[in-house]
Amino acid sequence: MPESRLRFEDLFVGYEIPGRATHILRRQIKTYADASGDQNPLHQDDDFARAVGFPGIIAHGMLTMGELAHCLTDWLGDPTAMVRLKVQFRAPVFVDDVIVAEGRVKSLDPKARTAVLDVWVRVEREGNTGYPIRKGEAVVGFAER
Amino acid sequence: MTMNAALEGKVYPDATFTVEPERVNLFCAAIGEERDIVPPTFATAAEFAVMPFIVGDAELGLDFTRAVHAEQEYEWRRPFRMGEALTVRSRIASIRQKAGNGFLTIETEMLDRGGALVVLARATMIERGA
Repeated sequence: MPESRLRFEDLFVGYEIPGRATHILRRQIKTYADASGDQNPLHQDDDFARAVGFPGIIAHGMLTMGELAHCLTDWLGDPTAMVRLKVQFRAPVFVDDVIVAEGRVKSLDPKARTAVLDVWVRVEREGNTGYPIRKGEAVVGFAER
Repeated sequence: MTMNAALEGKVYPDATFTVEPERVNLFCAAIGEERDIVPPTFATAAEFAVMPFIVGDAELGLDFTRAVHAEQEYEWRRPFRMGEALTVRSRIASIRQKAGNGFLTIETEMLDRGGALVVLARATMIERGA
């Protein structure tokens, strides 16, 4: 697949990164458990999840961080441009939730050819679509090619 | 029971993690990645090579059933290469108590065969007060 790489010169402060929406499915959470090695029953066993106060299993925080990084690497067209990503997990994500990963350019360093991004993930849920259930910051770098 | 704060700085035994194509493919399927790449957050799988040492550390006393993942950070020096073997080394960066909850930060280095840092991971977990 041909890749179009984003250039540092294309960016400006306030630039909005195209969002990536994902419908979270139970089998996707199971696939993530097997791929990551995180077999915590909180992500597989509804009875266990209820016993610790949730209505049912929740998605791995890291699954949603993976979706956020996927949003960024799709936009960059180049996974090697990822320098740093820091995310806070602020609220749970449940089976059948639709999550949307998004971001915005916060600052640019022309000398280092790096950009700092505000990034977040929100859930499209009845009555509340704006709260960032994941919130963080990324640094992406554009080496001279 | 609270976590043993005297264990700040403790380094766990090295683990080896191989970037296996089948596992990468499964990871790509889980996050909808269709390109032929090792996704940056595949580093999570390497962190889980060491996690059992921490969860099972009786000296630390983390109650994993009350633990939630609060924050995660990665610094990438370069992407993982398919098939490469990495040394995974975790240490307890900090243990704090705040408002009845415990905060545990683990730093994990992923090193190549020459000992060069490939990825640095920093995970913070909250152990909710009983």
